[in-house]
Amino acid sequence: MNRMNPETLHTGLSRRHFLSRTSTGIGAAALASLLNPRLFAATQTPHFAPKAKRIIWLTQAGAPSQLDLFDYKPGLAPQFDKDLPGSVRGEQRLTGMTAGQKRFPIAPSVFKFQQHGQSGLWLSELLPQTAKFADDLCVIRSLHTEAINHDPAMTLLQTGHQIGGRPSFGAWASYGLGSENSDLPAFVAMISRPSGPTNAQPLHERMWGSGFLPSRYQGVRFSSGKDPVLFLSNPPGITSTRRRAMLDDVAALNRLKFTEYQDPETQARIDQYEMAFRMQSAVPELADLSKEPASIFERYGPESKKPGTYAANCILARRLAERGVRFIQLYHRGWDQHNNLPSGIRSQCYDTDQPTAALLGELKERGMLEDTLVIWGGEFGRSVYSQGTLTKDNYGRDHHPRCYSVWMAGAGVKGGHVFGETDDFSYNIVKDPVHIHDLNATALHLLGIDHLRLTYRFQGRDYRLTDVHGEVVKGILA
Amino acid sequence: MHRLLVSLLIFPALLAAAPALPGDHAQRMERGLKSFQQEVAALLKKNCLRCHGGEKVKSDFDMATREDLLRGGSHGSVVVPFDAKSSVLVEQINHAKEPHMPDDQPKLSAEAIAKITAWINDGAPYAEPLVAGKKPKRDASVVTNEDRQWWSFQPLKKVNAKSIDELLLKNAKGMTFNPPADQATLVRRLYLDLTGLPPPETSDTSDLSVLTDRLLASPKYGERWARHWLDVARFAESTGFEQDYDRPFAFHYRDFVIKALNMDMPYDQFVKWQLAGDEYEPQNPLALAATGFLGAGVFPSQITANEVERTRYDAMDDMLSTTGGAMLGLTVGCARCHDHKFDPLPSRDYYQMLSTFTTTTRSNVDVWPDRVTSAITTVAKDKSTPLQAGATRMMICGEGYDPIVMHTQGGPFFDKTYLLKRGSPDMKDGEVQQGFLQVLSKPGYEKRWQWQPPAGAKFSGRRRSLSNWITDVDQGAGALLARVIVNRLWQHHFGTGIVATPNDFGKSGTPPSQPELLDWLAGRLIANGWQLKPLHRMILSSQAYRQSTVRSATKEAADPANALFMRRVPQRLEAEAIRDSMLAVSGTLDETMFGPGTRDENSRRRSIYFTIKRSLLMGSMVAFDLPEPLVSQGSRPTTTVAPQALILMNSPQARTWAEGLARRIASAGDVKQQIIRAYTICFHRAPNANELAEGAAFLQQGGTPADYCQVLLSLNEMVYVN
Repeated sequence: MNRMNPETLHTGLSRRHFLSRTSTGIGAAALASLLNPRLFAATQTPHFAPKAKRIIWLTQAGAPSQLDLFDYKPGLAPQFDKDLPGSVRGEQRLTGMTAGQKRFPIAPSVFKFQQHGQSGLWLSELLPQTAKFADDLCVIRSLHTEAINHDPAMTLLQTGHQIGGRPSFGAWASYGLGSENSDLPAFVAMISRPSGPTNAQPLHERMWGSGFLPSRYQGVRFSSGKDPVLFLSNPPGITSTRRRAMLDDVAALNRLKFTEYQDPETQARIDQYEMAFRMQSAVPELADLSKEPASIFERYGPESKKPGTYAANCILARRLAERGVRFIQLYHRGWDQHNNLPSGIRSQCYDTDQPTAALLGELKERGMLEDTLVIWGGEFGRSVYSQGTLTKDNYGRDHHPRCYSVWMAGAGVKGGHVFGETDDFSYNIVKDPVHIHDLNATALHLLGIDHLRLTYRFQGRDYRLTDVHGEVVKGILA
Repeated sequence: MHRLLVSLLIFPALLAAAPALPGDHAQRMERGLKSFQQEVAALLKKNCLRCHGGEKVKSDFDMATREDLLRGGSHGSVVVPFDAKSSVLVEQINHAKEPHMPDDQPKLSAEAIAKITAWINDGAPYAEPLVAGKKPKRDASVVTNEDRQWWSFQPLKKVNAKSIDELLLKNAKGMTFNPPADQATLVRRLYLDLTGLPPPETSDTSDLSVLTDRLLASPKYGERWARHWLDVARFAESTGFEQDYDRPFAFHYRDFVIKALNMDMPYDQFVKWQLAGDEYEPQNPLALAATGFLGAGVFPSQITANEVERTRYDAMDDMLSTTGGAMLGLTVGCARCHDHKFDPLPSRDYYQMLSTFTTTTRSNVDVWPDRVTSAITTVAKDKSTPLQAGATRMMICGEGYDPIVMHTQGGPFFDKTYLLKRGSPDMKDGEVQQGFLQVLSKPGYEKRWQWQPPAGAKFSGRRRSLSNWITDVDQGAGALLARVIVNRLWQHHFGTGIVATPNDFGKSGTPPSQPELLDWLAGRLIANGWQLKPLHRMILSSQAYRQSTVRSATKEAADPANALFMRRVPQRLEAEAIRDSMLAVSGTLDETMFGPGTRDENSRRRSIYFTIKRSLLMGSMVAFDLPEPLVSQGSRPTTTVAPQALILMNSPQARTWAEGLARRIASAGDVKQQIIRAYTICFHRAPNANELAEGAAFLQQGGTPADYCQVLLSLNEMVYVN
């Protein structure tokens, strides 16, 4: 049996001990704040004035090809099926899937690129809707990672470490900043499956987990079924009135005990039952898209009426943002195009391009893009050489951690901007490399958090999201 | 006021002392190393070395090695790594402090000074000594007598005492124990603590010591306490990583732990078998199953050719780090990349000990009554060999059996283990032979631990040698081994260990709050032939254990962390015990023991029989703080979050439990009798007048008996033990 995590006990004061330390004075005040969850959930002062109040992270799991979406390489066309020069490839790690290949033939993108907006940002024809917001996008072309397989790479992106066990970005953010809405969790995660017949990698709970942080900071996963939150509906036959009566009885009986023992944990549990009850009404209200006008569904596209799709989740993301949820993380799976990339990526962009643009548009119209940071991207990039058979209109691409592209938009970032540069093969970075840790440090910075100072002591060491690395990328800040 | 409070609560880490190293030390050292190689080494050699480590060593200040540079000279510290401002050397080369340096030479150029300053701010790393081959005076890779003075490396102190209570009262600063809890509370406490289940409605509980013996003899004791050890053993039944393949034969290890605890296997044997069961009793299925301890960690698939070696070192590190944390309470894994920063665990010790596992692999074996054979299976089920009649297939981790094959471009292991600089397989620094931690080894006894396997044996004997050292109380690590396990026992009985960091008995851990008691208990364990049950009995019969949870402002002010154990704090049950208790009070618990587990939430078996798949942990368990089984976990957090409430209110399982309980109380008589019976079943006590009135009112106002039962199951009292 355990009272609390003794690992934190010797350094941090747990809430329980903090309260039991003084049963009068300050303890009584703390108890008062526990009795009023709104006080406890109050927004925390950040380290400095934030540009972003919230983050919507559109995670594209499986690694979208930068070569076919963002990193325009016109010089590749004449090099079709030529071998990638060994000098470019160097001693790069290869996955098991291409390590045995005898040749590394260059596969230029079959997709046309065009300049968009005032800024003249180059984007592929796969993203016609997103392209309308070219002047809002800041494309980082020089992101890199050291992980080469999906799970460690995604774990690194989300938690700052390839091996699980550390808190995720959203958990750090809610630990640092608290919640703005006591009826909803501060951190919500949603996962969508591709509509096409694509291989979708599994995503572990740890991507939105709290690691060694207290578990109330963990992301609550909204699922795609009838209940966006596990067990949110009353069991069959239990009406809301009966549920209220039961809750009142739980509270009354718990209070009898509380009076007897004065144990703050009892009060905390009473509060959580109330929170659960509030979520039971707040979440269905949130998830009820029936009052959204038809124009909204048109805007988000044909998939948006199906619960659990990326498009439907984008609508939910906007609704969560409106309700003060601080960290909203969408995962869209299925970007792992080892073969048949052109058809696979078309299908992925069908799923994501229009809803992403609709979300950006809605945020902008409502004035929310000013204080919402939107991030779009995956866990690594894809190789310029073809995996498997290369023809004029078909190819595959292997994993490529040395460089890839993501974009950010909204609060505090430069719009219509490209940061970083890769070589002619989008194989190596030639200018302004940005590591995963730098990306995370920058996103925290926009939330008003100094990534060096947001720490948590665990097993005798102060941990932070960016491990022992990370620098804010000043060049993308507006 | 609230804001201040909330920020204190949210940022506990801010209250802690700043760490000695800057957070980005690794990054800075790397930069500094480059600068050393490119410029700084040459600058130091040209301008400083002649008098300080080259031809002479003036003022006893030697710059030839980093260790001696940082040690300083006869005038004290000269260079403070990462802090040029505090480094005397920087003042001297800037001519801001006498004597100016370099002595009798022109001042260094501004550029040179800037480079040296930046290099010190980057930690003053050396790529090699300034004088080739020179060794520092004090070598960090050598463990000294001073290092051995740390409390946990000392032999057990002989403590003269008759009881736990005597030792606790001696340190109690004038306080006394809380009065004993009432009989009913103690009975419930004992049941939940020892078996993870509430007391049955009818049971003879008049004599607590008889009850204690009966509960310790119950098979449910093993099912309860095995779960504590499985956290420590990072036990799971899948490989982890993105493929997360099942290990369908890994459950035998879980069954081994339950059986070993129930038979009160001496703890030293428990340890020996987990490390080397196949080397002790190659034909004994239980001994083989025990080695599942080594194999329970994560292992990736899709291993590319240039990842094979690194992955192998990762796998061996998992075995060693788990052994170190679980058995010795030491963060041995820290020494993989450098000598341990806080504890006297040199990198060389790490690699010597790591080589124990050079040829150790996971294998599936088929066990027959008279023989053990390799079961050639791969991660892809279609290639596995079918099980023949009469055999049991189990996953073990040993030597000489066909290794389980993953998708890999390499073999299962390498024949040799090397010392790796910075943990990198690309920077090998010589082959290592098996050795153990110097700080826990009496010099000259190495031969005594080494075990030569019989001729023709499949195994190397190295793991058995490790187990000899780790259990050797007088010359090896046995004293620490005993301290760590008695602390775990104490922690689960009291909520906090005597050492509050159960997996870290090193310098970054917390020292024992009751050092004499810890050593006395460890001594008693060894004197009892390492059997745990007598120790449980001793703890459970103490006044300390039997105190009430009555709160006292004076005691809480005098001893906020309850390090003196002069009161008892209510403890929340773990996920498994919560669910098991609900099943028990609903009258639907299926008591079948052992065998393959399930991932069906509707299962009515105890929660220890849930299959643990790393990527798909059971939602009901995770909500109540089941840890991710990636590394050894000595303690679980206790959270109170809304999803827990949703599970207890709305999950179909909770409703089934409530209905089961309602059926049980239906026959009790009138409403009052039913309420009394429900309280007796759930909380082992009668309701008081207020509770009776509240219950009666609820039922009279239209609440069904099942609703009422679900209310009771949702009460704090159901998940807390007083």
